[in-house]
Amino acid sequence: MSMTTLLSDPQTATALLPEFTLIVGIVLMILVPNLGKGTFRIPLPNTNIRIPYLLGGERFTFTSSPRIPGIISVLTLLFSTSLALWSQMETPLSGSNVWCISTAGEAFASCAGMADPTLLQIDGFSRLVEIIFYGSLMLCAVAMWSRMPATPRFMIHAQVLAGRREDERIQKLLDNRRQVDFHLLLLMVALGMSVVALASDVFVLFIGLELASLSSYVLIAFMKENEEAPEAGMKYFILGSVTSAIGLYGISLLYLWNGNLQMADLAASWQAMDGIDPMALTGVAFLMVTICFKVSAAPFHLATPDAYTGAASPVAGVLATGSKAMGFVVLLRVLVTITMPESGEAFWVPVVGLLAAITMTWGNLGALSSNNPKRMLAYSSVAHAGYLLAAVAALGLNQARAGDHVISELIVAAMLFHLTVLVLFKLGSFLVLSMLESEGRGSKLEDLYGLAKREPLLATALFIFMLALAGVPPLAGFLSKLLLVSGIIDATIHTSMSFDDGILATLQSLHWVVYLGLLVFLNSALSLYYYLRVGWVMFFEDPPTRKRLVYAPFLRITIMLCLIGTLAFGIGPLADHLMGLVSNAAIAFFA
Amino acid sequence: MMFGNPLTLLTLGPIVAALVFMFLAWASPPSKREEISQYIRLLIFAFSLFLLSLSTLMFLESYSGISWTSIGLNNYVYDNCVNAEVALEAGGCALVDGFGVSWHVGVDGLSFPMVWLTTLLIPVSMLVEWNAKKGAQFHSLILLMEGALIGVFVSLDLFVFYTFWELTLIPMFFLILLWGGDDRKYAAQKFFIYTFTASVLMLLGILVMYYFTRVPVWEGNITGRAFDVTLMAASSNQLGSSFLGGFGMQKAVFLLLLVGFAAKMPSVPFHTWLPDAHVEAPTAGSMLLAGVMLKMGAYGFIRIAVELLPGALVYFQWLIVILGMVSLVYGALVCLGQTNLKRMVAYSSVSHMGLIFLGIATMQPLGIAGAIFMMLAHGIISPHLFAVCGAFKHHYHTLEIGSMRGIAKHSPWLGGHMMTAWMASLGLPLMAGFVAEIAIMIAFWMTFGWLVILPALTLIITAAYYLWSMQRTIFEGGEEGELPESLHGEDPVDITWHENAGMIVLAGFAVLLGILPFIFFDMMSAYSGEFVSEILLDVLNEVRP
Repeated sequence: MSMTTLLSDPQTATALLPEFTLIVGIVLMILVPNLGKGTFRIPLPNTNIRIPYLLGGERFTFTSSPRIPGIISVLTLLFSTSLALWSQMETPLSGSNVWCISTAGEAFASCAGMADPTLLQIDGFSRLVEIIFYGSLMLCAVAMWSRMPATPRFMIHAQVLAGRREDERIQKLLDNRRQVDFHLLLLMVALGMSVVALASDVFVLFIGLELASLSSYVLIAFMKENEEAPEAGMKYFILGSVTSAIGLYGISLLYLWNGNLQMADLAASWQAMDGIDPMALTGVAFLMVTICFKVSAAPFHLATPDAYTGAASPVAGVLATGSKAMGFVVLLRVLVTITMPESGEAFWVPVVGLLAAITMTWGNLGALSSNNPKRMLAYSSVAHAGYLLAAVAALGLNQARAGDHVISELIVAAMLFHLTVLVLFKLGSFLVLSMLESEGRGSKLEDLYGLAKREPLLATALFIFMLALAGVPPLAGFLSKLLLVSGIIDATIHTSMSFDDGILATLQSLHWVVYLGLLVFLNSALSLYYYLRVGWVMFFEDPPTRKRLVYAPFLRITIMLCLIGTLAFGIGPLADHLMGLVSNAAIAFFA
Repeated sequence: MMFGNPLTLLTLGPIVAALVFMFLAWASPPSKREEISQYIRLLIFAFSLFLLSLSTLMFLESYSGISWTSIGLNNYVYDNCVNAEVALEAGGCALVDGFGVSWHVGVDGLSFPMVWLTTLLIPVSMLVEWNAKKGAQFHSLILLMEGALIGVFVSLDLFVFYTFWELTLIPMFFLILLWGGDDRKYAAQKFFIYTFTASVLMLLGILVMYYFTRVPVWEGNITGRAFDVTLMAASSNQLGSSFLGGFGMQKAVFLLLLVGFAAKMPSVPFHTWLPDAHVEAPTAGSMLLAGVMLKMGAYGFIRIAVELLPGALVYFQWLIVILGMVSLVYGALVCLGQTNLKRMVAYSSVSHMGLIFLGIATMQPLGIAGAIFMMLAHGIISPHLFAVCGAFKHHYHTLEIGSMRGIAKHSPWLGGHMMTAWMASLGLPLMAGFVAEIAIMIAFWMTFGWLVILPALTLIITAAYYLWSMQRTIFEGGEEGELPESLHGEDPVDITWHENAGMIVLAGFAVLLGILPFIFFDMMSAYSGEFVSEILLDVLNEVRP
């Protein structure tokens, strides 16, 4: 049994269609730019017949144009997103849409009773998070169309120093190479992320995580024109690899403890053990270090602001949305799938709760005091990680409400809703900054001055994104926060509770996690200040120049789509549809 | 179901129209901009008249169909989602089903007068400031304002209510910022920060109510909660003192809502944004700000805080009385010391809003009806006051009391309007303000006895500052009077015909409602009587047996 089984069965093949699309995209990305007039000589004596084999040699002008890699990457991601979305819409419920892929390469329509260990599991949950991943990467790819300058500035500089100029054809080829590098890495990130989404084995999970992370380190350092980029990439790489190493050590401890790394098996062993085995606990704790770095939870967030500031804005946007979503998927897998007890409170609730409180407050205080819009968004992303962690803490209470709604599902649905709409307005604001960055601005608040006078539509869009980040109704950001706090309150307060003994006695009788809900409110109110400040300087300060921003039609259209999404997912039937999608995914997660 | 409702048209119509007109004004070629702007202004004016006639027709239905005086508590007319529990299950009026957000509109004796007042004030304020710079944009913003304001008054879903509440900020902010006086940036900023912060607190209160109220869950409602006021009211009436899990939480929410609404009304000590905003705002902006936006605070207070949390109202009765009394007395005393006409009128608004608090705190049907009538009366009189101030600013370029005398001689119409407005505001019998004041005073006497002396004495201060400012501005000064230096020797002129037309409408209604108050007073007292007998008396009996 090998891959043939996987591919020969059409149903199985469709199950992995989004991932196959990615692989096809990666292959095309390598092949297409290398199409050329290359020939080879038939290796016979005395022959001089050269046979064209279309690779290498002088490249065709069309296929080696600097535009091609971007187009390939956007189309690939678009296809993958639509396929994932389609399969989610087609058979939304977990029951009929689960595929398990074993180490033998066989696929089964049910994960129960498989002979070989499972590697990947495809269900409604993984499909939905894949939509988040691919969606954010696609927006980044579109933004990079207008962002990659023809030639790195330092190279031009070197040429001027050397007193020579490259001829135009070679220049184009170099540009094409650069584009290929970038978009190839982007697709590798997508592949790594989808492995994370599908993994049902902790080691596979780790491989996916590393594939995505290593590629993203390079992406951060990619824009070498910006002096901060290599430094940021390096910083992020060093910290990232240290935390990954710690996580890997944790995984090895888990392996020692359990004998294999199957998530289902780990969960069963966890349920079965008396008390908590120190080795297993250490393993999970070490793994948490990796995860906290990924979701940029304080105090592991210290590299985040530098990385976001140094990276090109679209890449920073991916870090803040797709990459963060990936971190939360791993977090849910480890904390909920593996270590959640059958009933009662999970042991990690105090830790996660404390992390949440520190993270959201630190993030907001950092954002308050930063004068760089990208840095501010980075800190705001830390704060948002705190809101999500608060929901995870409530999830750990493991409450079941009598009636037709299950609280854990509501909380996971809330997290997914938040992560989905975050792609629209968080990445959207990074895209607007990206347009400023193309003219060498965007690293100071002063650069946003008077943006409304230069680009009224873009400034309005950025303002609305900011309001959505702050959580002002009726935008998507409000609904997602409302849902998160709903989950926290549902998990801590029962309908039967009476508050008649006075406020203080009441508050003492509540589980302390409810204060995280309150803290989310207070932090949101605090965050309004720095979000509104952006709006203020855009509308009421004088612009440094009257020039319009770079003309990037596709990027502008993308930003407008993000804007429409931010509004439409905030109120109206679309919000309901998304709600349906994420709650199905949440049901699938617990199935 | 959703769009066949006249209230939906009244709310969304102006917003959509305003956006279209704004776009037209923005997209018109620069060479023809002035000409097109004229047409747009006329179109906007015609549209606002259409909305006024629509709301008036709705009112006149009392003589054929709906009886406005017998709607019943927690029932609304023109309700698109009657019996919300069933209607939401059927999906008739849901906006975001999963969260329990619905498009639920309806009016009753409390909200309808405000809706009608809004539709009246919009064309009037446009008339008064007909020749504003960039008129098309100016009038579009006013139209946008109309939609948002009516949205606040008609929406029975707290999510939508809050959305419209915040939406009213945007046009007003730009009206002050782009058409305001010299210090407009500071005023706009202060206005925005104050009201926005207050409304965040209010949102917190609303969210606590949302989170703590269980509603009958229907298919598709994932959170198991709803923002619908009628559902919340049903739950609050049924559960009484255990609504929101108990009296303690009710009190906390009530305080949050109180801060949110008191800053909007505004009541001392959250009032300091008002004078700045008024002094800097353009005339039409001031008229709407004083006429309707302040009423949003009072309306929201009655609709949400009082109606849903009557127990807390009883508990905090003295706090409300003190807030109202301090606003009333402090506002009046500050007025005495003002030298700027517009600032004085602004502080008089603070003073009159104090009376609304007093009326509510009496917990008598008459007092609450009087408070609602005060909202309407002040909504007609204070725009008149501000229109007069605007005319002084416009034609005499000054607002300083004492820098001019005997203006009645030079501008007889302006003098006449000043006198009418000033008299109406100080509570001259047979004018609208008097009806409200006397109703509140009687109710106050019934509840608090001889304490009524305090507000009654304040009315003397009110009379003093009004008469004094009037005397020093339009009278005095001998045969020829004394023209302000800011006129720079120009000939003084009277108000233009469109200013005059707008002001005459306001003066007419001030007199009409003074002579025939029952036009609106009936539906208001029906509402307040229903509220007191159905809810408040039970609560009072429970708390003070």
